[in-house]
Amino acid sequence: MLINFKGAKTYIGTGGKNLDNSKTTICFIHGAGQNHLSFIQQSRFFANKGYSVIVPDMPGHGLSEGKPCKSIKEIAKWVYDLLKTLDVNNIIILGHSQGCLVALELNRLYPSFLNGVIFVAGSNEIPVNQFLLDLSLSDEQKASNLMVTWGHGIDGDMSINNWPGHSHYGEGNNVMKMNKPKSLNCDLNACNNYKDGIDAAKSIDIPALAVLAKNDQMTPLKSGQKFVELIKKCETHVLDCGHFLQTERPKVLNSLILSYLLKL
Amino acid sequence: MGENYKFDTLSLHAGHIPDKETGSRAVPIYQTTSYVFKNTQEAASLYNMEVGGHLYTRISNPTVAALEQRLAALEGGASAVACSSGMAAMHLVVSTICSSGDHIVASSKMYGANINLLQHTMPRFGINTDFVNPNDPDAIEKAIRPNTKMVFGEVIGNPGLDIMDVPAISEICKRKNVPLVLDATFNTPYLMQPFKYGANIVIHSLTKWLGGHGIAIGGAVVNGGNFDWGDKEKFPTISGPHFALNGISFWEEFGPSALIAKIRAEGMYNFGPSLSPTNAFYLMQGIETLPLRMKKHIENTHEMLDFLQNHEEVAWVKHPDLETHPDYKIAKRILPKGSGSIIVFGIKGGREAGQVFIESVQLASHLANVGDAKTLLIHPGSTTHSHLSSEAMKEGGLTDDMIRLSVGLEDINDIKKDFEKGFRAVKKLGARC
Ligand SMILES: Cc1ncc(COP(=O)(O)O)c(C=O)c1O
Repeated sequence: MLINFKGAKTYIGTGGKNLDNSKTTICFIHGAGQNHLSFIQQSRFFANKGYSVIVPDMPGHGLSEGKPCKSIKEIAKWVYDLLKTLDVNNIIILGHSQGCLVALELNRLYPSFLNGVIFVAGSNEIPVNQFLLDLSLSDEQKASNLMVTWGHGIDGDMSINNWPGHSHYGEGNNVMKMNKPKSLNCDLNACNNYKDGIDAAKSIDIPALAVLAKNDQMTPLKSGQKFVELIKKCETHVLDCGHFLQTERPKVLNSLILSYLLKL
Repeated sequence: MGENYKFDTLSLHAGHIPDKETGSRAVPIYQTTSYVFKNTQEAASLYNMEVGGHLYTRISNPTVAALEQRLAALEGGASAVACSSGMAAMHLVVSTICSSGDHIVASSKMYGANINLLQHTMPRFGINTDFVNPNDPDAIEKAIRPNTKMVFGEVIGNPGLDIMDVPAISEICKRKNVPLVLDATFNTPYLMQPFKYGANIVIHSLTKWLGGHGIAIGGAVVNGGNFDWGDKEKFPTISGPHFALNGISFWEEFGPSALIAKIRAEGMYNFGPSLSPTNAFYLMQGIETLPLRMKKHIENTHEMLDFLQNHEEVAWVKHPDLETHPDYKIAKRILPKGSGSIIVFGIKGGREAGQVFIESVQLASHLANVGDAKTLLIHPGSTTHSHLSSEAMKEGGLTDDMIRLSVGLEDINDIKKDFEKGFRAVKKLGARC
């Protein structure tokens, strides 16, 4: 659905169902250069499993207008205000990649706001090399294409997909192309500059779920494994795929999330 | 990981990795109509399009999906759907995007069935088409109306071999917010990938060069994923509410793959032009050698161009790789590897000479197909268009002396020798007259 939020047209995916604040809400936060479409195989799945689903396109991303946020803190505040505006309670946050930093920051800034937190391909830090930062300014499309290629495991290379007929690369490149110019550079800088991850991870008091990927070249497994050690109570799984677990291993990921939710 | 494999590699591998259970290196043929659900929840998930998977072969099948994913990878598209024929692909695109009252701008120089569908069949359903010259971007722009829902053409036209100026026309389409749909059968992704030039949707007759062996009819729609369907008024079938699934917008739910998702949910579901898994396997076997075959097709084509141009029994030769072709420059620009392996030529002596030539060759097969590994010929004047006068044929851009040659992969000297046989018979005919 499209709403007017902070003066900008803002798109919120709901998994094809109406929002229902009497239900537990799962809010999906997309990664750098992504939008709600990185959760195609989660949003509809959980909306049809009795959850209320919110998948916002961050400002300047996907179908949302507005200027992209410049820091993880700014995004976290934006998400907090959005969820307050939508008047949802009983909130689970699921972040992918940069979205994990947003989830961390949201929990650090607003303790006891969240009821559950799920990190997909997450870490407490996402340093970005200067080459990619520069390229995202000089040739945003090339930078996006590189991220899509690095972001997938063998399923990307070989066009293997459980969604019949779909190509991870072709789809991924076009999802990123939907975003407003320069939004990728904002996202990558926000990731690179986020330094509060360790404190934020240590401050998590709710049970967490982390699903990491063995062949993740964007948030390497080693970094993710160090990160989950910082969290007091975190159930961790490692899947045999690349960074885009949502599209590479949707069924396993969804069932891990579902069993975590049922335990909360 | 992050390998970005090249075209030749993708032709062999895309869409399949060795089966984990059996180790099968080849793509298994899943000759089944349906798939056992693990539980009711999984069944509901598939029906609701929550996650990918197979529920019934009319909608998708693992062998067919391997072919679709190979095609999507080779074209650099977001997604693809394979179907029972090239014409089925064309119908799926038109019927998914257009509704009664809508308008199409199409090339006037296309394969007969493509023309017929738009000129005679679709108007019965309220979808009308204006036909324009494919190499006249201005005329195409002028023909676009507020209710125009697609611009359609063939990259290399059949049988006239007109080349569409894809970069120029895609610019117009972008400006006018109309998807550019191209039939890329004659070029295949080996010779040219239309999405790189701004096209939005590609259709293929897989029956031809992609399959390459004349053994299976098949088609495909490949979706570039590069078109914004967000205008709900203009593209209600893609971005407006769907008739099922709680009225979702396919554009919002599936983004770059909205068109393919809609084709599966409506076209494959309600019309059912599905491809058989065994044919998908055959077609994939063909695609494995597409780069090798296309290279040889082009080599032999260029040899035949020399041969025919220098032959005394030949009145004229038409191919976009010849400087005499009106679209030579644009062909050089967008088809640098070659403009396909169809040659049209005129034989001295008109309709009768054409008939004698066709009946006198031995190796080349006289039949209604193109793109086989074997050399094929047809003489429209004595077959498909035999009921038309020379004047009437001219009006349709054809001449009664015209022969369409689909150059095969045989030893080039054998093809030439075979043609000499035909030409000798034509010469005898001339002497008799
Ligand atoms: C350019 C072109 N497009 C489409 C088709 C239709 O393909 P099919 O026979 O697979 O339906 C043909 C067949 O001759 C063709 O030449």
